[in-house]
Amino acid sequence: MNVVTRGIRSALRSPLRSGAIIAMLAISTGLILAMLVARSSVNAKIEEVKASVATQVTINPAGVQGGMGGGDPLTADQVAKIKNTAHVSSVAATLTDQLTGNDNTSLNPSLDPPKIHIMGPSGESTQQPEQKAPVITTGTTTPSSTVTEDKLTSGVMIDGTGTERVAIVGKKLAEKNNLSVGSTFTLYGETFTVKGIFSTDNRFQDSSLIVPLATLQEVSDQSGEVSTVTATIDNSDNVASTVTALKEALGDKADVTSQEEQAETTLAPLTSIADLALGGVIAATIAGAVIVLLAMVMVVRERRREIGVIKAIGGTNRSIVTQFITEGLTLTIIGGIVGLGIGIATSGPLTQSLVSNQSTNSSQTGNTQGLVRGTGGSPGGMMRMGGPGAVTNQISANLTSVTSSVTPQTFAISSAIVILIAIIGSAVPAWTIARIRPAEVLRTE
Amino acid sequence: MLTVNNLTKSFQSEGGTVHALSDVSFQVQTGEFASIIGKSGSGKSTLLSMLGALDIPTSGEILVDDQDIAKLSGSQQTTYRARKIGFVFQHYNLIPNLNAKENVMLALEYGGMPARSRKERAEELLDAVGIESDQQLRRPTRLSGGQQQRVSIARALANRPAFILADEPTGNLDSETGKKIFDLLHNLSRTQNTTIIAVTHDLDIAGKTDRTFTLRDGRMIARKK
Repeated sequence: MNVVTRGIRSALRSPLRSGAIIAMLAISTGLILAMLVARSSVNAKIEEVKASVATQVTINPAGVQGGMGGGDPLTADQVAKIKNTAHVSSVAATLTDQLTGNDNTSLNPSLDPPKIHIMGPSGESTQQPEQKAPVITTGTTTPSSTVTEDKLTSGVMIDGTGTERVAIVGKKLAEKNNLSVGSTFTLYGETFTVKGIFSTDNRFQDSSLIVPLATLQEVSDQSGEVSTVTATIDNSDNVASTVTALKEALGDKADVTSQEEQAETTLAPLTSIADLALGGVIAATIAGAVIVLLAMVMVVRERRREIGVIKAIGGTNRSIVTQFITEGLTLTIIGGIVGLGIGIATSGPLTQSLVSNQSTNSSQTGNTQGLVRGTGGSPGGMMRMGGPGAVTNQISANLTSVTSSVTPQTFAISSAIVILIAIIGSAVPAWTIARIRPAEVLRTE
Repeated sequence: MLTVNNLTKSFQSEGGTVHALSDVSFQVQTGEFASIIGKSGSGKSTLLSMLGALDIPTSGEILVDDQDIAKLSGSQQTTYRARKIGFVFQHYNLIPNLNAKENVMLALEYGGMPARSRKERAEELLDAVGIESDQQLRRPTRLSGGQQQRVSIARALANRPAFILADEPTGNLDSETGKKIFDLLHNLSRTQNTTIIAVTHDLDIAGKTDRTFTLRDGRMIARKK
């Protein structure tokens, strides 16, 4: 029997104690792997989102105040300039309109009417007469950029480049008006056919409808006008120069912003999850090392006499330390294997839980902001749904779809951490073993 | 041959310097069975630790075949313990999770015997001390005190040591079993020409050894042959 075999056998000498140590190490290792998976998955998502928006530039009319509207819409000439700017590979244009009872529509809004309070000079609040909530209508050349195809609960996506009288309708608006695929409704006196129903996590979006851009421009008598243009640049290296070129071409009539900047803000919750996961990895590593350290210190203290006897019969410090390190490694490796299994099983749900909790917090904040926009009304008569807000919504919706998987890299890092735990945990006991003097131990005979 | 010259061991304690051994000198011939007697605290175990290179004397020399073991380096002392010395303890001190045969094989491993020869040698030694083959596979907790001490003696003999140092080898056994263990040690010193130095309280046993040294307060006060 060699020293390694003796170490392995000694590690399992006390099944109850070994089981308890292995269980604690397994939990610690499982947490390490789950946190590493969460971190790498979230980081991958951040990179994916950044990569997807890295080449997009948003152009809005100058003077637009968040959701309050304002500013003159972009014209067909300005859209043409954008299209003709160097490195712009494609353009998606959007026009957002708010339908009220005066717009000859059969649709009833599904949102509650806004309550408007006006503060008097001495601080008193006066509630204004109730107004009917508007129905938000978005005309876009790319409906899938506003509502992704997987959000359709029934029907099909519409073609945004045509002039057909077709629409996809948000779930709440459809329920309010008893609409289903194939139903018709009236908009600006024209009859529209419902081609699809969509459902998102955003109640404002679910209370809106989407039609082809040219159709909305035609029926609402806003020919050539758009409220937002999203230009895709051919290469991320050309984004900065193209933004400059667009600003020069459009002058002070439009605001040009890179969506990467907006993505940074929207991705902040994911970044905090990644930081949290890193903290979890560090904490679990320290906990694991402390568990092994305390366990091995306890084992060495208990077996001082045995160590003394081994030294007395000719055992070298190196062989005894090797045996005890093997014991520590055996417990750590068994705990590590069980823990990696736990980590593989729990990393998916844990990542989803972290992401969905963070997204719930974010969407609650987002909904509050949306309510403020809705209640605030839009004096200018133009709200942005296809602009930066839509991009943010799209990214936010994307965030919940983080796919977690154990990659060879995360597995290798977890395994390396387990070995590191064993080494740290065994170092101090090894030092103690080397200092044990057999004469002192055996003097108690 | 073992020669001890002017051996002194002092410790520092709160009350000042304690002399565990003071100027102890004696000689034991190869193949002799010597005993050391004395009251508790007289320095018997300290002397045994010095002879076994488990502790370093404050002054004096311990010559084993003309080599002063007090001047050996740490690794040389380990080699000395593995190859020249066999220990027999009052409480046997067998490794609890190894069976009898594995306990003997462990000493053979430290003595540098090739792995393929250890099993046969361990069986031979255990047979010689009267441990039957089925008992050889038992762990210490499943052996009687006398059987454990026999295994301990087999372990001490494993590497054909020059000396066996026995600290109260019969102290934990009933008188009948103690007598058998003494006879076993005595027989070994005769048949294998192994020098045995045993610390004991038992004056009957001491009286049967070839030579007896008496310690009192760390000083050698009598030598009897």
